[in-house]
Amino acid sequence: MSQVELVLFLESAVRLGIPLALAAMGETLTERSGVINIGLEGSIIAGALGGALGALAFEGAGLGIIAGAMAGLFVALIFAVFAISLGADQIITGTAVTIGGLGMTGAIYQAQFGATGTELSLPTLAPVAIPGLSEIPIVGTAFFAQAPTAYLAYVMAPIAWYVIFRTAWGLELRATGEAPAAAEAAGVRVRRVRFVATLFGGAMAGIAGAHLALAHAGTFAENMSAGKGFIAIAVVVLGRWNPVLVLFAALFFGAASALQFFLQALGFDIAYQIFLALPYVLTLAALAGWVGTSRAPAALALPWEPHR
Amino acid sequence: MHSVKGHGRSWRTRCVVALLCVAAVGACGEDMDEPSSALRAALLTSGPVSDAGWYAGAYDGLLLIEDSMDASVSHQQTATPAEYDEAFIAYASAGYDIIFAHGNEYQDAAIRAGEQFPDVRIIVSGGGRVSENVVPLIFRLEEGTYLAGMAAAYMTESRIVGMVGGVAIPPAEGAFRAFEAGVRAVDPGIEVLEAFTGDWDDVAAAKEATVAQLSRGADVIIHNLDAASFAVFQAVREVVDDGRVAYAIGMNGDQNAVAPDVILGSAVIRIPEAFLSTARRWQAEGVGGAPIYVNTEQDVIDFVFNPELIDRVPAEAIERVAVTKSAIREGEVDLPRVIVVEGEVEGR
Repeated sequence: MSQVELVLFLESAVRLGIPLALAAMGETLTERSGVINIGLEGSIIAGALGGALGALAFEGAGLGIIAGAMAGLFVALIFAVFAISLGADQIITGTAVTIGGLGMTGAIYQAQFGATGTELSLPTLAPVAIPGLSEIPIVGTAFFAQAPTAYLAYVMAPIAWYVIFRTAWGLELRATGEAPAAAEAAGVRVRRVRFVATLFGGAMAGIAGAHLALAHAGTFAENMSAGKGFIAIAVVVLGRWNPVLVLFAALFFGAASALQFFLQALGFDIAYQIFLALPYVLTLAALAGWVGTSRAPAALALPWEPHR
Repeated sequence: MHSVKGHGRSWRTRCVVALLCVAAVGACGEDMDEPSSALRAALLTSGPVSDAGWYAGAYDGLLLIEDSMDASVSHQQTATPAEYDEAFIAYASAGYDIIFAHGNEYQDAAIRAGEQFPDVRIIVSGGGRVSENVVPLIFRLEEGTYLAGMAAAYMTESRIVGMVGGVAIPPAEGAFRAFEAGVRAVDPGIEVLEAFTGDWDDVAAAKEATVAQLSRGADVIIHNLDAASFAVFQAVREVVDDGRVAYAIGMNGDQNAVAPDVILGSAVIRIPEAFLSTARRWQAEGVGGAPIYVNTEQDVIDFVFNPELIDRVPAEAIERVAVTKSAIREGEVDLPRVIVVEGEVEGR
């Protein structure tokens, strides 16, 4: 691989990793509170459509990203009402929310742009090169000449880490996810903490979707989330519920899929499925405890009924 | 769980199915009025019909049958293989006459449903298995992509062209092999890149695969994707905006109007016309027991240059494509054919 090719590969890896990082970072907080939101995929596709419609309506990609965040948050709100307030099974609710999200976005898109669809050319969120950093050889442009949403992911990782591990609210969040009964005894309002963490996760997934539509593809297509919500959940596991590690795990997933396209373009005749499978093998290894120690929050996916 | 799209026909069908079930339970033994003897046609797709290509053409075909044959029609989008069986059973038991299952992925479920419901006719687009009432409808798209390959060979300056596909199923492989052959018929020295993303709708993957080929120097890219094709056009548009000369080639339908600024031409399947003629044939003489082949002869398969960009195409290229099209029609061109239907020798 020549240096030019290496740079192109790294750029592609970061582009593919950023939406996963954004969604997985939100999901990290959600899971730390004891909620697993399988409906993440629904928030991502809603964010993509919300971002596309927002960008067209406000004639700007920046406001489109905000619209995408709102759409993702709205979908997470539906999940939260059923899974947290009403104590429904989180896996079943999340699955329903994902299917509903894919169906509703399709229906809205077809109502808006015709049943047989068309290629939307959306206002795009242009890459912004950071002076100095983007001039670092090889990695400079890959990491520091990206869309602003990429910088959001970089900045969010340490902030989320600090919030989770160094603040009083972070302690409440972790307590809620590990031992909700003890947290409640200590005066933590368990369902409220879970609600906030879930809505935050939905908004981040919405931004991830809007990034896909506005910063990456520049268009919207039905089902364009293509399983990224589920991959983001795997990224959280590989990142061991630690936002900083989650960022690296997301970039690793991005690199694995970039490698696939890159080797195909170079004419290597290797089954591309092998590269697609690689990150999942590592995630399994992480779950089995072969890659460091990792443990899911003890109360993950368990509904909670307040006792007062 | 069916992900039925939110347009009237599907919902109406579901209501009808539900009502029929209620009626069957409640009014057991009573005579029920037959709705009418009009043709009832259904369509199954495993992706959104809003792709302005493969599925959109099928949906337009269903509407054409509705208009031209005064048929009552219904469409469902199925997401998982388990849903294929469910959808066939739902339509067959609701008395649909003909079910268009638009994709190779339906072939096994179609055979199972065909055995269970001998009266229904199932047409599987690009299907590989035949029975008395399950009929593969084989689009000889390679005849169109061969012509597309010739056009690409005339337009490339870098002498590198690319192909970006979803999943490497036999019909997709066949279309790409013929594109390659078309390129090489003009200039054997041109390099042809190939990538599959593993997903027909993943725009991010399609974009990156296209970007990777464009950065390798490719300047004409053909796709074989569904909704993700939009990302191929977008990737080409981005390098064109940066001052490079590059083109995309549309597929499955006439996509020239989808991105008129970057699409050189489209390898077309006139799916609506193929569906209508199949339904007519079913009504007139019946279908079954053998695949139906459609190709350039019936004008179902074609390659059409984009009128917006045709000024840039050398006259020699237009001439060569036209001459070759006639030759293919006459069966004079030896095209690479991928065997799609099991036991098939040489069908056309």
